[in-house]
Amino acid sequence: MENIDYARLQMAFTLGFHIIFACIGMVMPFFMIVSHYKWLKTRKPVHLQLTKAWQKGVAIFFVTGAVSGTALSFELGLLWPEFMKHAGPVIGMPFSLEGAAFFVEAIALGFYLYGWNKLPEKFHWFTGVIIGISGVLSGILVVSANAWMNAPSGFDVVNGEFTNIDPVAAFFNAAWFTQALHMTLAAFVATGFAVAGIHAFQIRRNKKPELHKEAFRISIFFGAVAAILQPLSGDLSAKDVAERQPVKLAAMEAHYETEKGAPLYIGGIVDEEEKSVSHKIEIPGALSFLAFGDFDAEVKGLNAFPEDELPPVSIVHYAFQTMVGIGTLLMLSGILFLISLKKKSWRDDRWFWWLFAILSPLGFLALEAGWTVTEVGRQPWIIYEVMRTSEAVTPMPGLQYSFYLYVLVYLSLAITVTWLMKRQIKVLNNSIG
Amino acid sequence: MLYVVLFFTFFSLFLYVLLGGADFGAGIVELFSSPENRKLNRETIYKVMGPIWEANHIWLIILIVILWIAFPMYFNIIITYLHIPITLILLGITMRGVAFIFRHYDAVVDESQIWYNRMFRISSLITPVFLGMSFGALVSGRIIVSPGPQHGFAEIFMLPWLNIFTLLTGFFYAALCAFLAATLLIGETEGEARKIYSRKSAIATIVLVILGGLVLLYGFLTDMAFVKDFVENPFSVAAILLSAVLLIPLWRAIRKERRVLARILAGSQILLVIFAAVNTHFPSLIISAEGDVNMLQGIAPEASINILGITLIVGGAIILPGLFHLMKSFNMIKFSIKEESKN
Repeated sequence: MENIDYARLQMAFTLGFHIIFACIGMVMPFFMIVSHYKWLKTRKPVHLQLTKAWQKGVAIFFVTGAVSGTALSFELGLLWPEFMKHAGPVIGMPFSLEGAAFFVEAIALGFYLYGWNKLPEKFHWFTGVIIGISGVLSGILVVSANAWMNAPSGFDVVNGEFTNIDPVAAFFNAAWFTQALHMTLAAFVATGFAVAGIHAFQIRRNKKPELHKEAFRISIFFGAVAAILQPLSGDLSAKDVAERQPVKLAAMEAHYETEKGAPLYIGGIVDEEEKSVSHKIEIPGALSFLAFGDFDAEVKGLNAFPEDELPPVSIVHYAFQTMVGIGTLLMLSGILFLISLKKKSWRDDRWFWWLFAILSPLGFLALEAGWTVTEVGRQPWIIYEVMRTSEAVTPMPGLQYSFYLYVLVYLSLAITVTWLMKRQIKVLNNSIG
Repeated sequence: MLYVVLFFTFFSLFLYVLLGGADFGAGIVELFSSPENRKLNRETIYKVMGPIWEANHIWLIILIVILWIAFPMYFNIIITYLHIPITLILLGITMRGVAFIFRHYDAVVDESQIWYNRMFRISSLITPVFLGMSFGALVSGRIIVSPGPQHGFAEIFMLPWLNIFTLLTGFFYAALCAFLAATLLIGETEGEARKIYSRKSAIATIVLVILGGLVLLYGFLTDMAFVKDFVENPFSVAAILLSAVLLIPLWRAIRKERRVLARILAGSQILLVIFAAVNTHFPSLIISAEGDVNMLQGIAPEASINILGITLIVGGAIILPGLFHLMKSFNMIKFSIKEESKN
């Protein structure tokens, strides 16, 4: 493997981890403030206990999200200095706003964590609301910067230099809205189902069922609503990608031939050498419809593009299938939960809790798969049709060592955080009250 | 708008050195404490630093974001040729951050605390040393901005930041952090603990002055352009001297338990040290093997600078009062009448 491959692996690895930490840190405050609100209203100790337990989760994930984010802001430069040199002045706006939002979040977190019994009750709760809002804002802003890499705008390239820079136009690039919407919903789906699943498992074990049922209700509600909305946002994204990045759409669907009335492939094994897909289920005309709202529309195939501008097709295709498959499963489970609000008897059955416990990690799997589609699907470009990834990489040799170092650090971090969460739950289950 | 951006660049640098530095310093003080004092230190810094702990480090992010938006060429040089120390700094920041949160938020208190503490203390020392080394590397005239095939890996990526001068600046910065932390913590403690921090602060001050002298002496003896210009710049020399003279009222203020004054004095000293260093060569804050690299050349186009300036003003208007209120709420900044009546 060459230097650039290690740079890409390191970026993928650190981004992959940061996304998980950041999503949990972004969504959990909402669970926490709902529970906190219930405590202020009902004064039932179970709500206070839950709020304080989730607050510890928020603190741990905020910090791990923050340090991995700090690392990323440097890594962008460390690994891709040529990219940052040109892109910095163009997409700096969302990043500087994100810095501000993040700062507000850190200040609000300071107030919230240390404010119990010190601040007026309502103000204290309100600082929690600010944590939630500024967290979501940070997420949207960062995604907007990434969207620019897919839909570069707000500058002209003259003799290799970026001129006529318009940071506002770059910020509101064509992809920012669909990407930010899709990502925000994904964060709520993934975290909602993950947290709900952990509590479902505890209910299944019959540990403190009252507390865990309350926790389950709050978290799954966010997850279910987001999961049901997500296909709508997915549809918007698909239409957007079809128009802007036809080669990415072709890779997602593994379509080699350009055709009218293109079928949708479900599953399938990609042979990149033979340029064919076997063992797939075909739904006639469905891809044309999903991409362009017309069963007869023409969908460009991979063969219509130069060989050296194709992304790794099989990775993108499998990742896309994984994302859509899990998304559908979670949406159906979300509907199931909403029905269970009426059919309360389901909740006395063991399968109900088992189901949600098993679903727990799937949202994050879908989320990672989704990012794989976005990022790998854009290759070989770092800025779509403007700058190649190979032109952006650092001249510093020996990147494999830095890659190994990051793998070691992030893996131990992930293991430690998981272990800490287990300890938190254990203590919570054994506590009195 | 360029002036606004420049102001915030140095303002962020100042606050990061001051607040982030005090934060690192707290870990260094803990590292060099006896086991029984470590526990006291741990609790004190959690009480004092806890609420603003995270905010202290965001100044670094702000600084980085400003650099890569407004001064992309500068950022490119820093990030490419200081790849290794910056990676180590990141590792230190990560380790330190998670260790701090683990040791205070782990639900079970057992032997794992030993590891969290160890990780926290060691990374508290290592991170500022590498930060200081990186600062030193930028002005030591060894970075090769346009390397050719005749330059080897070590020459391009190692020697610029790994030499006696940068090591001295690294330790100088670490001592500065320890000085800040000890001075800050004196004001938060009573009785025996107060004596401990006073002693730490005194030791840190002595180490700081010695290391500062060594940095200048070594740079002078090896004909380093930055140090030569520094010595010949009357404003820089005056600032450093004033900073040293301020140690006297600082110690008086500490003895008389005037916390506000002590903090203002310590902060002013840092401001003077930064001013002295920056003033010497501004706007050429990087001195490479090929000569001065002007910060104001190769800056971002006006549109980017303007948007950034507006963001910084608006962001500052929201953040700074919030931060101030936070620090005030949790007694980081004191204006108490109680204190006045003491004297």
